Amino acid sequence: MSEGDERRAGEHIRTTPAESHREREIDHVLEALDPDRERPHDVVLSKDLSLSFGENRILSGVNIEFRRGTITALIGPTGCGKSTFLRTLNRMNDKVSGFRYEGDVTLEGASIFGPDQNLLHLRRRVGMVFQRPNPFPMSIRDNVVAGVKAHQIAKGKQLDVVAEERLRQVGLWGHVKDRLNDSPFRLSGGQQQLLCLARALAVGPEVLLLDEPTSALDPISTELVESLLRKLTPALTLIIVTHNLGQARRASDHTMFLYGGKLVEHGPTAELFERPKEPSTEHYVTGRMG
Amino acid sequence: MAAVSGAATGGTPPVAARPPTKRDPLLQRIRSSVWANEHHLWGWGGRISAAAPFVALVLTVLVLAFKAWPAVKVNGAHFLIGTDWKPGSTYGAVTYTNGVPHPLGVSYGAWPVIVGTLESSGIALLIALPISVGAAFALTERLPRWIAEILRYAVEILAGVPSVLIGLWGALTLGPLLANDVYPFIANHVPDVAGFSYLKGPVGHGEGLLTSGIVLALMIIPIIASTTRTLFAQVPPLPKEGGEALGMTDWEVGRRITIPWVRSGIIGATVLGLGRALGETIAVAMVSGSLLATISPNVYGTMGTIAATLVTQLDSAFVDGTGFEVRTLAELAVVLVLVLLVVNILARFIIRRTGNLSVPLGVGV
Ligand SMILES: Nc1ncnc2c1ncn2[C@@H]1O[C@H](COP(=O)(O)OP(=O)(O)OP(=O)(O)O)[C@@H](O)[C@H]1O
Ligand SMILES: [Mg+2]
Repeated sequence: MSEGDERRAGEHIRTTPAESHREREIDHVLEALDPDRERPHDVVLSKDLSLSFGENRILSGVNIEFRRGTITALIGPTGCGKSTFLRTLNRMNDKVSGFRYEGDVTLEGASIFGPDQNLLHLRRRVGMVFQRPNPFPMSIRDNVVAGVKAHQIAKGKQLDVVAEERLRQVGLWGHVKDRLNDSPFRLSGGQQQLLCLARALAVGPEVLLLDEPTSALDPISTELVESLLRKLTPALTLIIVTHNLGQARRASDHTMFLYGGKLVEHGPTAELFERPKEPSTEHYVTGRMG
Repeated sequence: MAAVSGAATGGTPPVAARPPTKRDPLLQRIRSSVWANEHHLWGWGGRISAAAPFVALVLTVLVLAFKAWPAVKVNGAHFLIGTDWKPGSTYGAVTYTNGVPHPLGVSYGAWPVIVGTLESSGIALLIALPISVGAAFALTERLPRWIAEILRYAVEILAGVPSVLIGLWGALTLGPLLANDVYPFIANHVPDVAGFSYLKGPVGHGEGLLTSGIVLALMIIPIIASTTRTLFAQVPPLPKEGGEALGMTDWEVGRRITIPWVRSGIIGATVLGLGRALGETIAVAMVSGSLLATISPNVYGTMGTIAATLVTQLDSAFVDGTGFEVRTLAELAVVLVLVLLVVNILARFIIRRTGNLSVPLGVGV
């Protein structure tokens, strides 16, 4: 929260008559303190989005909104377009030859494809963690601050602070504090993935896209990552692709089910798993498909 | 390793695998896969042909050293630090030093051509490395496929142009062009800072150090560029995408991820190119001025290199009835081999130092 918000919050208290209902006053204050109060609830909005590679239509007419500070699980059988959808949200598909989209995706109300959308800035705001850990060929410390350097968010000694902070956040600090200048390739797969998460967090994204982030990890590391993701909300909005239905159930607030080139169903996770509306959803979540 | 595979083919109980070399696990893996598992299939024929280049090199150096030994005894340390090159009175009396016959008044100092060799190759590397890496990067990452294919073909053709043609072109066209239009501009416009004085002064007529460096660069760019291009093409997409997803520009992805990913390979390619430059003979002989006893005061002046000296001096060396000058040239050749050896060892050292952060075998997609 910025200083400006606090000051405005203070003014708000003064202008409220002391006699009025205390309850309402507190509500007002809380609302005023909320740094997100003037922003739309839906951080990312997909409007009639259709995606194709060449003549091959992958998804059509996807309408969904991702609410601020929630975790949305993206499930569906293999090849249904989960990764394609996710990668569209930070425009990683732009470079893929043959990729086309129709419809629109907005971030905070502005189209991510718009002419004044700075691609680099967009990717700073919408971060990504990949299925397999992909550390850069530089020291562990430099990995964490690679994006910070690229965006010139910090420099010099500040970088060490950022590195330590982010490594602590993902629970790696204890493991690596004595070998910050070593190669990341000697870390275990799970540790490498945590490092990649730290790296993505370091640039301060608003939305984090995770494409099967734990598929290469053992159950313990998976649990670690899941609890970590929970701690990242409500500051961040997370969208996570997973093949692990248990993970979707445990770790998400909302779930969306892609199947047959469409967004078949989406809703609160418990509801979608307990009372699926569509037969194909039911088949999938009960394990009779995919 | 011969013992290991010999035992395997000979039917005797297999020798226990060597304990892994601590130093170099990569090499260990290569050794265990190629030598232990496949090499016995090749049999002795394979072994001999694999060893042939090495044996040839060792034999050549031995013969050279044998030939050079009497010259070493006469020239002494002066050969490495002296700056004169006097064949003595070839038609005069023969004298003996340490029992070695040689003309009266010989004094051979190779320091100027050793310096010339290192300087010209150093300049070539300074020019060629950024251009090669940049070109390789453009070829793999930036240019449309069909343009990249055409350029790749052009680079391959350039690699195959005989050095005498490049030398001739350098001497007749490039050198005069540079001396008339480019060098004066550089010499007149460099700032008056201490380190830049090498770029000032008389620019000559196009034969000299900088022209040699440029011609050498032309010859090693194809070597470094094509090797580096292959390396870049092998960098897996995942780390690069990771950089893009972080909001890095293509340039940053290249500089921070793609190039470091293959860093040790680029160093290897550079050493390959440097070896070519250090040993390049005829082209340098044509554009350097082929001086023997002069260290150029600036980058434009005429000079000589070890390899060029060998080829330009051999004819007159045979005039020396005592054979001493030929022996001295053999000594010079041994020095060249030593320079190459030092360069290779240095490269290995650098690779080991940077290897700490590089990518181990088996990582990547
Ligand atoms: N670069 C591409 N060019 C052409 N077709 C592609 C490309 N990438 C993906 N596809 C196709 O798009 C479809 C969806 O792929 P996508 O990777 O999004 O599936 P997914 O749901 O993530 O599957 P998985 O669960 O296996 O990761 C697939 O049929 C695939 O063949
Ligand atoms: Mg996928």
